[in-house]
Amino acid sequence: MGKQVMLSIEHYSKSYGEGTKAAEDVSICVECGDIYGFIGHNGAGKSTTIRAVVGVLDFSEGEIYIDGHSVKDEPMACKRVTAYIPDNPDLYENLTGIQYLDFVADVFGISTEEREERIRQYAGLFEITDSLGDLISSYSHGMKQKVAIIAALIHEPKLLVLDEPFVGLDPKAAYTLKEIMHEMCGQGTAIFFSTHVLDVAEKLCNKVAIIKQGKIIASGTMEELTEGHSLEETFLEETFFEKKTKDGGGL
Amino acid sequence: MKALWDRSDFVLLRTLFLSTSLRNQYKYCKDRRKRKKIRGAIVGMALLYAMLIGYSFATCIGYGLAGLIDAVPVTCALTICSLAFIMAFFRSNGYLFNFKEYDMLMSLPFEPGKVAACRFLFLYGRLLPWFLSIVLASMVGYGMYAKPSVLVYPLWILLSLLLPVIPMLAAAFLGFLITRASVGFKKKNLIQTILTFAFVFFCFTIRFFLEMLFKDEQVGETMENFSNAMSGAAQFYPPAGWFADVILRYNWLELLLLAGTSILLFALVFAFVGKSYRQINSAMKSHAKARHAGLEVGRQRSVVAAVAYKEWRRMSGSTTYMVNCGIGLLLAVVIGILSCIIGFDKIVALVTNNAPFDPAILYPAIPLICYFVVGMLATTACSPSLEGKNYWIVQSLPIETKVLYQGKMLFNLCLTVPFMLFAILCICVSARVPLVDTLLYLVLGAVLCAFSTAWGCVCGIRHMRLDWENEVEVIKQGAATAIYLLPNMFAVMGLTVLVVFLGTKMDHRLLALAQVLVVLLLALLSYHRVLVLTAKPESQKKKRS
Repeated sequence: MGKQVMLSIEHYSKSYGEGTKAAEDVSICVECGDIYGFIGHNGAGKSTTIRAVVGVLDFSEGEIYIDGHSVKDEPMACKRVTAYIPDNPDLYENLTGIQYLDFVADVFGISTEEREERIRQYAGLFEITDSLGDLISSYSHGMKQKVAIIAALIHEPKLLVLDEPFVGLDPKAAYTLKEIMHEMCGQGTAIFFSTHVLDVAEKLCNKVAIIKQGKIIASGTMEELTEGHSLEETFLEETFFEKKTKDGGGL
Repeated sequence: MKALWDRSDFVLLRTLFLSTSLRNQYKYCKDRRKRKKIRGAIVGMALLYAMLIGYSFATCIGYGLAGLIDAVPVTCALTICSLAFIMAFFRSNGYLFNFKEYDMLMSLPFEPGKVAACRFLFLYGRLLPWFLSIVLASMVGYGMYAKPSVLVYPLWILLSLLLPVIPMLAAAFLGFLITRASVGFKKKNLIQTILTFAFVFFCFTIRFFLEMLFKDEQVGETMENFSNAMSGAAQFYPPAGWFADVILRYNWLELLLLAGTSILLFALVFAFVGKSYRQINSAMKSHAKARHAGLEVGRQRSVVAAVAYKEWRRMSGSTTYMVNCGIGLLLAVVIGILSCIIGFDKIVALVTNNAPFDPAILYPAIPLICYFVVGMLATTACSPSLEGKNYWIVQSLPIETKVLYQGKMLFNLCLTVPFMLFAILCICVSARVPLVDTLLYLVLGAVLCAFSTAWGCVCGIRHMRLDWENEVEVIKQGAATAIYLLPNMFAVMGLTVLVVFLGTKMDHRLLALAQVLVVLLLALLSYHRVLVLTAKPESQKKKRS
């Protein structure tokens, strides 16, 4: 019996003005326990797809299901089990780190004891416990990213969606995040993330999709996709030479 | 059935207020300079509130002395409603749509309609202290003269909280409709700007016709006439009449009507807005990308011209910036064209209610009249702050700070001088002002633009604020804008009166020449100040080395 599907993107398309398609007929399936990498050039349509998944971006064509709920029809049910970490987190700059984390915990109805335990745990791992009492406006990009990560983990989501999560993180924090992702995956959480760092994707992901000019040009398990080559070689081959023309359900 | 308002909505609203609270920033900020700035901002705000309270109270005293104290409730209600409408309309883009933390909020389990409603209530809460300053001062003034029952005071306060809701909802809904209409276009910012301008001019036209309507019912040139006009206006806008009826006649039904209408409209507007809220914001935040588009390289410009061009792109890309800095320029065009079509003398007769004086005495004030609209808000006052978090771009470029501001000033001059000259020329031609006088007025107009540019730049640099969340904060609510706008406006009004008076005593050409020299001196002093302010870091570096 197969694993439970946590995220299912079915024939999703998004166009802007005059028919310019940012994403075209994108289909992806992420199961519980998957770490699914989403790779592509700048402007390929990764963030557009991710923003539609987390309910930020409106779309008209296709369907996106999270834990069996439609993002269009039951957005609240989807958002309750999802956490999103954007590439450039726009947090409330004039709140302190702890005030922001309290806000997110309040929204998800996390009890004081639970939130304290989780914030202590993750803030300790990311080494920002001492800075949580400072205003977010005084944080560096990496520190803001760490606060956004803690905020995402605070309600123990079933689906974690990350857009370029390693940008701006110091090596130690990047390693910690990878460890957390592994641990969550072991507990059955589905992780869907975009990245440019192919080495990270290769080591971390069990499944990958490559997007080019809004279309999925290849997707499947890492072994299926790379066929013994490195992910970098496969990516360059797929995106530059377009030898393979697979989409949707893998090879 | 979904709850109309649940706990997480309160959490969001509380967080929105906390995230903009000066107290919170002051409490947790460790930077001494920032704390000093916060203290300055609090003092500045307190002064503005004090001015507003003083003005409202003095108006009430005037009414009381004229024996028209019963007109105070309806006047107060109409003032609050007009202010609420205007302030909410110009803030809807930025507060309700197109705000920075949209992605973060929408990824959390909030319904789109409730996010919009919370943003509206947040705007309401931010504007409420302004309304309360007027309302409470009017209440005290009314209480002193009318000696009403004690019940009036809690009623007045309660109703004051409800009164701004309906006009703010109307403004938010109009802002929504304009934004909704513009998102379907490729150049949505431009369409939104044009629609906003069109609406502002529509409001001016309506106001003009209403004034004409009340003029027909005039019985004399007294304050009583104004009181009648206010009562008449309340018939056009019933909530203001309801407010006055509750205060004057304890009409409980109208209290319920005001409360019920406000709540019902609130629910209806946000049920409707919620349906396409995500769609609108998606469109506003997304930028169509032309794949396979050809490379269009711009022509080479000088550094100053390149900065000026950057300023133009910055302005044309933002509806808020464009509307606030452009409204005065458009008014100048309207004044100029109207002068040519219906004649300057007739406009003067219309504005002054056919007051018995020769319009020729106003000729020396033509440049100042045009400057009143053209110089309303110099781009240089807000453009330093508008660099915001992108300030590093210009800081890291190999250009001197003064060159950056020279570019900003060049842009403001390019923007304002043509409009100023056009308006002056149209009025002078229409009024048949002699050629030499016209030329002097044109020179004065250009010099006034230079002064406005340089003085705006001084304010912009001295009160630069880069850590804003929403550009409305620096365009509309920034210290630089307020310090430029208010004294400039009052000074021009005072100077206009002075120039008209002096024009009756001395030769117009001599007066214009004197004005040119004085304004030129002020412009040069302001420009020198800009150079001093921009040279500061260099001198500090030298000292350190």
